[in-house]
Amino acid sequence: MQPTTGMLGEDGIHVDMDHLKKGEVNLGTSIMAINFKDGVILGADSRTTTGAYIANRVTDKLTQVHDTIWCCRSGSAADTQAVADIVHYYLGMYGITNDEPPTTQTAAAIFQDLCYDNKDQLSAGIIIAGYDHRHGGQVYSIPLGGSLHKQPYAIGGSGSTYIYGYCDANWREGMTEQEGINFVKGALQEAIKWDGSSGGVIRMVVLTAKGAIRHLYLPDNGYTGPGTYQA
Amino acid sequence: MPGFDFSNYNRNAALHAQGVPLPKATSTGTTIVGCIYDGGVVIAADTRATSGPIVADKNCEKLHYITPNIWCAGAGTAADTEFTTALISSNLELHALSTGRKPRVVTCMTMLKQHLFRYQGHIGAYLVVAGVDPTGYHLFTVHAHGSTDKLPYVTMGSGSLAAMSVFETQWTKKLTKDDAVKLCSDAIQAGIFNDLGSGSNVDVCVITDEKTTLMRNYITPNVREQKQRNYRFKRGTTAVLNEKIITREEISKYVTVHELDDPSVSAAAEKMDVDS
Amino acid sequence: MTSIGTGYDLSNSVFSPDGRNFQVEYAVKAVENGGTAIGIRCKDGVVLALEKLVVSKLLKHGANKRIATVDRNAGIVSSGLTPDGRHFVSRARDEAAQWRKLYKAPIPTSSLANRMGSYVQAYTLYSSVRPFGVTAIIGGWDAEDELPVDGMVGSGPSVGSGGKQEGSKKGGPSLYMIEPSGLYWGYYGAATGKGRQSAKSELEKLDLAAGNLTLEEGVKEAARILYFAHEDSKDKEFELEMTWISSKDGPTKGRHEEVPKELREEAERLAKKALEGDEDDEDTKMEE
Repeated sequence: MQPTTGMLGEDGIHVDMDHLKKGEVNLGTSIMAINFKDGVILGADSRTTTGAYIANRVTDKLTQVHDTIWCCRSGSAADTQAVADIVHYYLGMYGITNDEPPTTQTAAAIFQDLCYDNKDQLSAGIIIAGYDHRHGGQVYSIPLGGSLHKQPYAIGGSGSTYIYGYCDANWREGMTEQEGINFVKGALQEAIKWDGSSGGVIRMVVLTAKGAIRHLYLPDNGYTGPGTYQA
Repeated sequence: MPGFDFSNYNRNAALHAQGVPLPKATSTGTTIVGCIYDGGVVIAADTRATSGPIVADKNCEKLHYITPNIWCAGAGTAADTEFTTALISSNLELHALSTGRKPRVVTCMTMLKQHLFRYQGHIGAYLVVAGVDPTGYHLFTVHAHGSTDKLPYVTMGSGSLAAMSVFETQWTKKLTKDDAVKLCSDAIQAGIFNDLGSGSNVDVCVITDEKTTLMRNYITPNVREQKQRNYRFKRGTTAVLNEKIITREEISKYVTVHELDDPSVSAAAEKMDVDS
Repeated sequence: MTSIGTGYDLSNSVFSPDGRNFQVEYAVKAVENGGTAIGIRCKDGVVLALEKLVVSKLLKHGANKRIATVDRNAGIVSSGLTPDGRHFVSRARDEAAQWRKLYKAPIPTSSLANRMGSYVQAYTLYSSVRPFGVTAIIGGWDAEDELPVDGMVGSGPSVGSGGKQEGSKKGGPSLYMIEPSGLYWGYYGAATGKGRQSAKSELEKLDLAAGNLTLEEGVKEAARILYFAHEDSKDKEFELEMTWISSKDGPTKGRHEEVPKELREEAERLAKKALEGDEDDEDTKMEE
């Protein structure tokens, strides 16, 4: 038998999606980010699990790495937090040393550098979304192997498998903010409904020229509110 | 000869080859909790330490000092929680000295998570970090692999499910200090009574702006009672089949014999350390 | 040079009592003897040009290039000690490569200048090293369009990114000059080396700040200025080396390249003609 390394399965080709160390905290997750008319929207459920136990039912998987560059984290909580912390540091330093804020491309490049170089050690699926005046809103996805994809919208995590059809059927380019929010909310509601590892509240971040606006939608009232607040 | 001595390596390899398993690390099959209230933060823990199925210590301390205003409750491998908290406590003291500021809880949490992440879960420390600093009251959990959570109430360890059920049914937004202490100790007792890995007493630590109060054995629901019966057998219960008397002079050829003054003291040589 | 012999000129890391670092000043002297190098920042590109003095008839004509490409979009010309210039370029390439490794994009010229400035400055601090015997001119073109991340797949929404704001374009030509002290400024036109004084006065006449000079005009001006600056050492033969960088839509497609032979020869022909013209004028004046 050929030796297997890292997260590759016995055939040496396929990636073992369930590669987690024993007892490790897992973001069995539904995450997504979309482009819309004025920028980008990130969305996520709030469930964190250790095996069958929900370690946190109100997790915030939308993590800020610069003023208007955010990411959605899926996979190992420890790995994605560590990676996001490092990128947060890098982008902070970039802003100071170059006298201008980093672009979403810069953030995506650093995320990819970390995820690709350490692919054997990490289980992290990250979606990066950011806004800047020059480039507008952008969405990048970095799946398990560490490749980088620029996309109109990106979905990720275990719950995303259930909403490929929904997203493909309902996606339109150049949506308004409200249409975008409804699209993300509708998709995540489906993901939460069908995926046992996803659940809790729906969190969103809207990134436009106005800055970052947070949204929160609770299951108590059928994900209708309470709505927005300044991040 | 100076240098390292590797003679035990061969012994261990030989024992291992004969099928002797490695000794198990003591783990604190544990219930630890924490809760924020208006004016401070409370953490609590049970006091049972286990080694496999054996209760290794009936009244151990799982609340660890970090700084005067930051305390940690530890679950997982006892040695790892002990040394990790001690290390971070030391580093945070130096950090406070060099910055001339009071240490912050997020700093402590970040140092812990970065330390634990570096060891990829091999340091089995699961911690509840709580404290008060100039930015407010804070409560975090840190898992062995280095992930963290920030919540108003948290539980960890094998009894975390029992304890969480108490929080999920009894927690409210507005809590007084007494409410929070009651809630935390109730959650620990849920662990003590419903989780095999947890037991003995409740330790509580209350951190406020003004001071930190450690309440060791705040509740002792498992006090050892006097035995109902005496199981000593009377002299002569068993028949004597034969008898051989060895005199002191004879045995003195082989060992040193000391006369004990008090016949009631059986072994005066070494007294065992017992936690009071 | 009254301070010579007082001992304060023997080491970096030791100031003279009046606050000077003589080693750096001596390095500047080394530059003052080098062939003239200039850079012109035009409205649609940058020209770098060098007066390469022919030190031996045995050297192959047109070989031994001295203006170096650092990354696709940036070049460096230096005056002074050639090996120091080579080391400087080598470091600049490392910086550009390091930037690309992390950010998966070309280094902005300003950041390159900043990093090289810091590098040169470090060589003024320690007694174990000597300062760089070069003044280097860095020219670059920072892409105005959005750059993809190297190795990225896909292109985002077919309608383009949402929320872009007009007028927030950036990039374009830039020109920096770094001195042996590590001091650097951004310039419209930069000159260093033996003929820098006359080159600078000619550059000033171009009113580069107005931003009217085109790249092609810049090439011709650069040739003319170097020929003009060479007048003071007429007896020595020299070769003209020229490179340029334009936007993506220009002749070099955003790359730093050597100016094509035909254009360079044309520029040299015009330069010689302009000089002869000047001489003719002077001749006529003398005749009057």
